[in-house]
Amino acid sequence: MMIHLVTGGSGSGKSSYAEEQIVKENRRYDAPFFYVATMIPRGEETKEKIKRHQMQRLDLGFLTVEKYVDLEELKIPDNAGILLECISNLTANELYREDKQSERGGKEESDSGEVSSGAYDRAYRAVVNGALKLSRQTEHLVIVTNEVHSDVNGYSRETENYRKLLGKINCELAKKADQVTEVVYGIPMEIKR
Amino acid sequence: MIGGAYQGKYEYARRMYPDISWIDGQTCEEEDIYSCSAIFHFHSYLERMMRQGKSVRELAGRLADENPDIVIVSDEIGYGIVPVDRFEREYRETVGRVCTELAVYADKVFRVVCGIGTKVKG
Repeated sequence: MMIHLVTGGSGSGKSSYAEEQIVKENRRYDAPFFYVATMIPRGEETKEKIKRHQMQRLDLGFLTVEKYVDLEELKIPDNAGILLECISNLTANELYREDKQSERGGKEESDSGEVSSGAYDRAYRAVVNGALKLSRQTEHLVIVTNEVHSDVNGYSRETENYRKLLGKINCELAKKADQVTEVVYGIPMEIKR
Repeated sequence: MIGGAYQGKYEYARRMYPDISWIDGQTCEEEDIYSCSAIFHFHSYLERMMRQGKSVRELAGRLADENPDIVIVSDEIGYGIVPVDRFEREYRETVGRVCTELAVYADKVFRVVCGIGTKVKG
């Protein structure tokens, strides 16, 4: 159960790099690779894009499982590696999920649309524990996350809080990971091994 | 010590230098920076000086002369879209320029991502 965390900016090539890691390390095993998709398909364009990517990954030997929230519940059968993509979606899904609205309560929040600290803690635990649970079901887990922290742009307080939560989750996952890589323009920079 | 927001830069720096005292760039006095051992939220210090209309052009050179052993922790804030707001544009650009100059004088530069530092100089 080796955990490899892959980070980088948008369009940095981190997804392809992550796929490659799973495929090249585990080709010798019979079992399939699993791809855990976290992006909620909204709109026809997204659905088509998702389908296209699923077909591409099928050629590489990946079976796709969709899991948008409650990652801890996910049971993956015998496998030769799992790719979880990506933590930034999963974090947003957990933070803004509608079935846990009661936890977003409080009168202050209803005015600003902001999320309560209870919801942040819950989202933090759901993502971190979910990823760790996944790591116990495989010999090789590659986790893709996103670097959205090196900017200043007058973000709303809510967006700033999301950035803070994602930063905290990334630090925790990096601590638990055996290997951490930042992909810069397609070039892997090893920051922990 | 540079890196994006919420990457654990300050914690990383404190582990590396456990015995020095820190001032906070959000609250310290203007002159404190020339005598302190270390400062975190350095980008906020620059923002405050700029909002007060003070020039920070000489700051890096003066720090190198008067306080060459200082440890500085700053957010990297120049990796996104150029902000619409004029002050934010200037602030963002200034943090980049000042930190770039400081990196020339620095013996060591570390960049922290996901709580892990990578040496980029020294």
